[in-house]
Amino acid sequence: MRDQVPLVLRLFARFIPGDLREPIAGDLHEEYLAMRQRRGAVRADGWLWWQSLRLALTFRWERAAHGRPLPPIGDELRGFGSMWDGLRQDIAFGARMLRRQPGFTAVALLALALGIGANTAIFSIVDAVLWRPLPYPSPNDVLSLGEQRPSENRVHGPVAPADFYDWRSDNAAFAAMAAIEPGPANISGAAEPERVRAITVTAEFLAVIGVKPARGRDFTREDEAPGRTLVALLSDGFWRRRFGAAPSAIGQAISVDDEPCTIVGVLPAAFWWTTTPDIVLIYPTQANAAASRAQHSMDVIGRLKPGVSFEQARADMDTIGKRLSAEYPQTNAKHAPHLYPLQQALVGDVKPALLVLLGAVGLVLLIACVNVAMLLLAKAAGRGREIGVRLALGAGRARLVRQLLTESVLLAITGGAAGVLVAAWGLSAFRAIAPASFAALPGIAAVSIDLRVLGVALAVSAVTGLVFGAVPALTASDQKLTSALQEEGRGGSAGARSARVRAALVVAELALSLVLLVGAALLLVSFKRVLDVSPGFESQNIVLAPVDRQSGTNADVVTFYQSLLERVRALPLVDAAAVASPLPFVGVDGRTGFRIEGRTTQSPIPVRARPRLISPGYFATLGIPLLRGRTFTDRDVKGLPDVVIINAAAARRYWPDDNPIGRRIDVTFADPPRWYEIVGIVGDVKHAGLEQDTDPEAYMPHAQAPYSGQARRLTLVVRTRTPLATMAPMLKNAVIEIDRNQPVGAIRTMEDLIAASVAPRRLNLWLVGAFAIVALVLTAAGLYGVMSYLVAQRTREVGVRMALGASPASVLVLMLRQAGAMMVLGIGIGLAGALALTSTLSSLLFGVTSKDPAIYAGVSLLLALVALLAIAVPSSRATRVDPLTALRDS
Amino acid sequence: MAATDVTSLGEFEHMVLLAIMRLGDEAYAVPVRDEIARCTGRDVSRGSIYITLDRLETKGYLKSRLADPTPERGGRAKRYYELRPRAVDALKESRRALVALWRGLEAALS
Repeated sequence: MRDQVPLVLRLFARFIPGDLREPIAGDLHEEYLAMRQRRGAVRADGWLWWQSLRLALTFRWERAAHGRPLPPIGDELRGFGSMWDGLRQDIAFGARMLRRQPGFTAVALLALALGIGANTAIFSIVDAVLWRPLPYPSPNDVLSLGEQRPSENRVHGPVAPADFYDWRSDNAAFAAMAAIEPGPANISGAAEPERVRAITVTAEFLAVIGVKPARGRDFTREDEAPGRTLVALLSDGFWRRRFGAAPSAIGQAISVDDEPCTIVGVLPAAFWWTTTPDIVLIYPTQANAAASRAQHSMDVIGRLKPGVSFEQARADMDTIGKRLSAEYPQTNAKHAPHLYPLQQALVGDVKPALLVLLGAVGLVLLIACVNVAMLLLAKAAGRGREIGVRLALGAGRARLVRQLLTESVLLAITGGAAGVLVAAWGLSAFRAIAPASFAALPGIAAVSIDLRVLGVALAVSAVTGLVFGAVPALTASDQKLTSALQEEGRGGSAGARSARVRAALVVAELALSLVLLVGAALLLVSFKRVLDVSPGFESQNIVLAPVDRQSGTNADVVTFYQSLLERVRALPLVDAAAVASPLPFVGVDGRTGFRIEGRTTQSPIPVRARPRLISPGYFATLGIPLLRGRTFTDRDVKGLPDVVIINAAAARRYWPDDNPIGRRIDVTFADPPRWYEIVGIVGDVKHAGLEQDTDPEAYMPHAQAPYSGQARRLTLVVRTRTPLATMAPMLKNAVIEIDRNQPVGAIRTMEDLIAASVAPRRLNLWLVGAFAIVALVLTAAGLYGVMSYLVAQRTREVGVRMALGASPASVLVLMLRQAGAMMVLGIGIGLAGALALTSTLSSLLFGVTSKDPAIYAGVSLLLALVALLAIAVPSSRATRVDPLTALRDS
Repeated sequence: MAATDVTSLGEFEHMVLLAIMRLGDEAYAVPVRDEIARCTGRDVSRGSIYITLDRLETKGYLKSRLADPTPERGGRAKRYYELRPRAVDALKESRRALVALWRGLEAALS
């Protein structure tokens, strides 16, 4: 019958003390059989595992705690057991030592919890965003393709539709290639009209990312043909929300931006794309191929054929690029396709910031390590007698080091456990303050403290314990037996060697802090410089309301916006109003090539501008200065001469030596050309963000728009002294009065948009700043602790000096001289380290170089002041030593 | 000495001793736990039963013997417990003390 004994029982029985093993295992077996009859084998097996584990643990700990000798455990595990027993003794002893000094333990645990917690939190973010592959099959084969235009300083710009079609048909390297244009869409039919997140893609989009629809069918090339009914795929969430997860949604007709559209499928719930679209629409082939070669609007992705390398794909695309440049010099001169992995394209912007954060928390952890090492060293010195006695009783040095290291690893792992709590708290705080743009990062939604992160936290804790424990353990166990016993009871300084170690630790701590402080100061100054940049218009008191008008003819749309503006301008407390597209600090911004009347096609610089459609009154509403000529009036409408206003950057670039007013340009590349006369020049606006250079821009009246799509998607810009909460319903009302089926997008203030545009930088500054402050506090605490210890050690010496007539001032100088040397050395090494390391920050800096002397000087001064304070307090205590007491105590 | 030991009988130890007394010849860990559960309604962990039995034996309140192995226990022996006279004395003393303390208090609780 013995072979019927469950394996778990045989296994765990070995952990039960020998004299009790037999009856306990028997009892469990008996109960197990009874339970199997009553509740089935599965429940009984689970129960047995759980009970065996509990009993095995309870027993060993209980007996150990009550000081009874542990009976030998099973022969098979004897080797493991004796090692475990030794380790257990060390752990129990270490735990007792830590409990006995609650002050020391609390300080060390706090430092470690902060250090490990910050590292765990940042690691979980970096890991999820940078190091986990994209959620697609063979993600490394998915590349992002862009257009390289060196003359415009663009390495990976958007692609023109006609170029994409050529790339797609001519390449030999890609199994599938697709283009994507993000943007909102108005959905109506079935339920209330709604503005949703959409992407417009070509047929093989899902094939590139390796996703199949969960229901219905994928897009085909036939769906792209012009004139066919639009087709759409729904996201799982949108399908559930709007269609109640009805299978009949497939095949249903809806209306997208007032065009009929058929739903052909539903995406799987796990589908992920950076813009988290609700609906994926087919991109119909453009009719006007020439114009679509000048307008760069598409993101392109491709999946490599099996066996094709990145280099082969690049060579293949280069050949196509060269052919297109030769064939279409007017639009494609000096253009080349540019490739890199999709993951890199998606996280490229945040990668340096995340790595800097990881570096910063690493420094914090190192500082925490140094701090705890100093504490341990001071403690070990106090334990000189204990260690001396143990050496005298025959303990080997290795055994002592093992004991001391066990203590420090125990401390680190306890600190690490607290650190994981700190990290969990930190992550929820991070989610609350993370800027909206972070939501587009891959993996950011899945950031959590999972097993992998816990594993890293455990490993970091253990290594941390070894790192900060090694120096004190080696130093402490290296005592000369006799000196340890002789020095007992006397306040003489510990050996010269441990004093050197302590000084080295102080120097290291100061140096590490300085590096972190310089980094934080550079980011702080950069942030200040960014905020000091003028956006080129008055951003206060501006309210924005996107209104996407899809129904009616082009003329109807113009009339709609005109009557909307009339209503809005009549609202109380509205100072000025206009409509425009696109607006500064609002998402996607295209650019278009144009030709200048009378100039040859072979321009030395690419002739390209960002097109803006605006209504009269736009410049006045935003406070953009008119530099020359005139602004638009109500007479600049369709049928009258087309007019355009350029910004100063366009005037500088294309008419550096003459007056552009009166010149004519064409953005349509139509035949015959549609000429727009330049009637004015306005000031530059920081359209893409405060840190970006201003590109050439061309403002056109929306009534004379060359592109009907953009003219339907305008945003109401209102200058008002009324708060947003009051203004928003009034604006919505004005729209509804004209057409109650017309949706309005999110209404926001311009200042919110500007704040959102600097949010990633602000977050980065806050985090690095917080880490730097933690580092400063830890350093000050460490210095304070070491100086207090040194002062206490030298009490007798100071007493003698004062008894012999030394003044308090001379004692203070004596103490400060010792600390001052460490301080100067630490700051010196820190400066060198900062010079070497802060160059990694350069991509995050703005308006300041990574070697700015003023910042280095200021930070050194700050650190020196804090250090002096931390040194002065305990030193001044030395001057108050009463010689009599000091001498009597010894 | 005996008096000190009596006062050191914990509540749970007390219950275990009484359960063994009630079970007579059939007192091993499984029925002891069941008996406590039946009489008091408390579901106690197996670990604490074994620990307490172990401790009571160390303190000299219990003696135990291994019975012959049986097949329904995977060929493993049962450990039966019985009270030593000390335990009976301790229980008597404990009961006496409690009864003395309770005397006259019944009315106060009703």
